[in-house]
Amino acid sequence: MTSAAEVLLVDDNPADSDLTCEVLTGGREQLQVRMVSDGVEAFAYLHHLGKYSGAALPDLILLDLNLPRRDGRAVLADIKQNASLRKIPVVVFTTSQAAQDIARSYELGANSYVTKPGNLRDFVSAVKSLEEFWLRFATLPVEENHD
Amino acid sequence: MTSKEVQLLLVEDNNDDVELTVHALRRENLANNIMVVRDGEEALDFLFCRGAFQDRSFDRPPKLVLLDLKLPKIDGLEVLKHVKADARTRTIPIVILTSSKEERDLVQGYNLGANSYIQKPVDFDQFRNTVKNLGLYWLLINEAPVTTGLAAAATEAG
Amino acid sequence: MSTKGTEADKESLRVLLVEDNPADVELIRLELQRDGFQVQSDVAEDYAQLEEKLGGADYDLVLADYNLPGCRGMEALELIQRKALQTPVILVTGALGDVTAVECIKRGASDYVLKDHLARLRVAVGRALQETRLQTQKREAEKQLADKVEELARSNRELEQFAYVASHDLQEPLRMVANYTQLLADRYQEKLDANAEKYIRYAVDGAVRMQTLIQDLLAYSRVGRRGLHLKTVDANLAVDEALQNLRTAIEESQAVVSHDRLPCIVADNSQLVQLFQNLIGNAIKFCGPEPPAVTISARNTADHWIFSVLDNGIGIAPEHAETIFVIFQRLHTHAEYPGNGIGLAICKKIVEQHGGKIWVESELGKGSTFHFILPITKPGTERRTT
Repeated sequence: MTSAAEVLLVDDNPADSDLTCEVLTGGREQLQVRMVSDGVEAFAYLHHLGKYSGAALPDLILLDLNLPRRDGRAVLADIKQNASLRKIPVVVFTTSQAAQDIARSYELGANSYVTKPGNLRDFVSAVKSLEEFWLRFATLPVEENHD
Repeated sequence: MTSKEVQLLLVEDNNDDVELTVHALRRENLANNIMVVRDGEEALDFLFCRGAFQDRSFDRPPKLVLLDLKLPKIDGLEVLKHVKADARTRTIPIVILTSSKEERDLVQGYNLGANSYIQKPVDFDQFRNTVKNLGLYWLLINEAPVTTGLAAAATEAG
Repeated sequence: MSTKGTEADKESLRVLLVEDNPADVELIRLELQRDGFQVQSDVAEDYAQLEEKLGGADYDLVLADYNLPGCRGMEALELIQRKALQTPVILVTGALGDVTAVECIKRGASDYVLKDHLARLRVAVGRALQETRLQTQKREAEKQLADKVEELARSNRELEQFAYVASHDLQEPLRMVANYTQLLADRYQEKLDANAEKYIRYAVDGAVRMQTLIQDLLAYSRVGRRGLHLKTVDANLAVDEALQNLRTAIEESQAVVSHDRLPCIVADNSQLVQLFQNLIGNAIKFCGPEPPAVTISARNTADHWIFSVLDNGIGIAPEHAETIFVIFQRLHTHAEYPGNGIGLAICKKIVEQHGGKIWVESELGKGSTFHFILPITKPGTERRTT
């Protein structure tokens, strides 16, 4: 990945998303992090609706599960059932460690599932590992042109 | 180790790549339960608990499958398609690890449901580094589903 | 036998007489009245009428003539059984051989009475009615039990939901506190005096303790709430999984954990992993000056496996050997050792859920050995309980 990568962060807790954003952009100059704080906004962003009509499709999505207005699981299903969105890797990044949440997320097509660690050191380390793997080692699908 | 307790399934027909990969994982202590299969048919037999792997059970899936694309008998994308089409195996994390730089393969891979796609670096050190990184991420950071789809559905209902 | 009892004294009896001889019908009615019953009777003279009557009303008793040409007694019996009615059937007949009599009872008749010994009716009817009463009581008791089980299951589901919501909703704000107080400490170091650093440290400690407390409480409530999902489990793999989960602690303490070849047992896999994880985790946490060394072994008797987890840690004074298994009981301050006294309570709950026992052998300063027994279950008893 050499061009500017775009990450969409879907999380209703600014304490978590601010920290995540900080760690993600910490190491790289060429990273754009967009943040939306509920499932309806996420949907609008991905479908270029309203104020998001000019938005580019993200290369990677970090998705919390428990979101207001439209639950993360519904957002995940939307993305993975949509022909032009489903190739975007979605990492569920959430508090829950519950087996049924993990299983359900994969069932709905999540590419990966990471539980938010409870302490600062591990939280930072997890986000760094996410950034490293997905943005440096993995090859992300090229965004198709849309009009 | 019987074929029941495999943590990582490596689907790769190139011997050098197998060696490199296993070695890189071993250095990080991630290689305790690796099974190597050399073609797409064996991979499907393994994942669908049949043929030589009849003693395996669907509710002890591997935590990760590393899948090359160019394989004898049945190619990687076919394997991927079958695995992601079946409720019993759909949720097993599959990471494509291939030398292919074809955009077609990349897009199709993700569209078919590959959890991730990685191009094998040509450079020896970079290859090792890549394997180390993906091993750490997929085996330690990522939460794999403990049970496969059907069992998970039963747990939810029960 | 007095017939002068008041109407209220008489037990009411709805009886269906399968009989075509009016005289016999009268005789039976009279006998029943003499026996103290308030009789309401219907008569069916053949099979068709029998079916019709049975479809129309509930009867306490059917008295059927064994040899009625239009409907043999056994046919009446079969019809009643086919309709799954619980009504007792007493066969009334002329002479009846012993063999036939036994055959009737075997096929489900409540009793038989000879027409020229109608006096026996009282006993036979009394017994038949008593049988029915007992059956009804039994069915009601079973229904109540089923209701209670359903109530319990529903209550469990609600608890599970509550635990999930509580844990998630509690963990998120906790993480906010823990992360940001730590960030404060990290990034404002030069601007903070020693007191401020201390205050922040206490805040972070408090948050971390709450986090582990929530997770441990969740784990404790999970045991028993989810029921046991029993299957054949390789204990060696369970230990491996526990060690994976403990890898940071093992690395940091340079602990050495070894085990003999352990058996395959019938157990709930995730609980077994939790059990080993707690015991090994404790052994590592409560270590002495030397790096922790833990050994796990197992031996069996005819009907148990006895597992032992031996460590070289600080040991436990004998007077505390039982209280350490009580929830929230701790022997140390938080400054000395982290933890909230739930780990061993969880172990005890898991072992007891499996029908076993857990105890410790230890001396202060000389390490501890935790033993737990798990009964050997016969293969084929693998099941899910709720």
